[in-house]
Amino acid sequence: MIRIHNLVYRNLRIPDLTIHPGTTALIGRNGSGKTTLLRLLAGISRPKSGFITLNGIPLVPGKAGFVNEYPDKNALFSRVSDELAGPLRFRNYSCDEVRRRVLEGARNAGLDHHLDRTIDTLSGGEKVLIALLSAVISSPEILILDEFDSHLDYDTLKEADQLIASSGSGLVVRCTQNMDLAARCGGVIVLHQGTVLHAGPPEKVFPSLGSTCCYPFTWRQGR
Amino acid sequence: MKLSLTGIEKSFGGWKCAAGAAFSPGVHLITGRVGSGKSTLALLAARVIRPDKGIVQYEGIHSHTLSFQYPENHVTTSSLEEEAFSYGVEPDHALDLAGINAGKTLDPFRLSRGELKAFHITCLSLRPWDLLILDEPFSALDCRGKMAASGNISERKKEITLVCTHEQHFLPRTDFLWEMRSGLLTYLGPVPEAIPSWQSATGPVRRLRAQGILPVNLTWQDILEAACRMHD
Repeated sequence: MIRIHNLVYRNLRIPDLTIHPGTTALIGRNGSGKTTLLRLLAGISRPKSGFITLNGIPLVPGKAGFVNEYPDKNALFSRVSDELAGPLRFRNYSCDEVRRRVLEGARNAGLDHHLDRTIDTLSGGEKVLIALLSAVISSPEILILDEFDSHLDYDTLKEADQLIASSGSGLVVRCTQNMDLAARCGGVIVLHQGTVLHAGPPEKVFPSLGSTCCYPFTWRQGR
Repeated sequence: MKLSLTGIEKSFGGWKCAAGAAFSPGVHLITGRVGSGKSTLALLAARVIRPDKGIVQYEGIHSHTLSFQYPENHVTTSSLEEEAFSYGVEPDHALDLAGINAGKTLDPFRLSRGELKAFHITCLSLRPWDLLILDEPFSALDCRGKMAASGNISERKKEITLVCTHEQHFLPRTDFLWEMRSGLLTYLGPVPEAIPSWQSATGPVRRLRAQGILPVNLTWQDILEAACRMHD
């Protein structure tokens, strides 16, 4: 469980917020502070005041797998195989274990044909998939995903969701502009101008957005 | 006015993008799986890269541009004002239309990615391009931004517009449907006739098709109308 208390950082003002285990969608208008909050949750940024805890302990860098919204900014290495191996090497896994996990992870995700490619030859969507696999390959405690889904087609998105589900991460926070996706999450947080406008299960949050284009399409579609 | 791709091929390693097509005025929606070649096709059509084989021909096209998938690739100046001028548009008007409440002197990279995308797409929409090629124009936009962008694209009836996208909900009114299938551009036909053979269809369209329902077009209003239709 993540707890945010008295957080003040840039345009964010969050007096109190709890994010429960499972998958939580973070939604809101462009510029509402979603990426800023996600970077704090990933431990990439540090709050100026207030605190963020994970299971009662102050959040520290390295606990989270993170996928940046800019696919080109995710990669640290030039080769796909090195990019996937990076998080495992940083955690001091043995060379054999790194090799085994990279091959197994890539094969299970259907991405093993990319292993020998360089990152710059990948399409935008492929870069996102490699970033996602790199984020989950070391089974991080929490997974923070910044709107990676807007670069994926319908079928690939389903495969990415399976990858997330099998990651072993107990707590996932994903920013999205796809409200059908958000409606399938266990919780939804709506940010507006740096503050939490709504938070709770989709059935509780989305009715308050019924008059906006944020209401899930499948709920309108009905059948 | 016509864009012709005659027997074009572009190879990268063991992978090949191929197309033989003619694009007439109207909105052409091009979809396909990740890595199927949509961005490569957009670069070829915009003459940013040259094909290994074949010809890209513009007939009666006097102005054209390409919108990249990532808006940061378009930033060439250090303020929103200069950036708007670089597109040949008036800054206040562009910022207002994009819904951005920021000073004109702000560095474009201080905007959120969605705001930067909205600003870029708005600046493009304020110019009358004969040929507009859009690679993922909706990514990073919130639903209001997507609705505004798709509305602007829908109005481009006399010009040629190519839209390569994975967007699931807020598509423009589309005249012709195309699909990239493993690197090969495939023409599916006019909308709505082409919808049944659309392999990479959006989720809402798949749900409708599963119920034997065909929307008249692909805008969110069309999809909702079809879902709520109570008579033929």
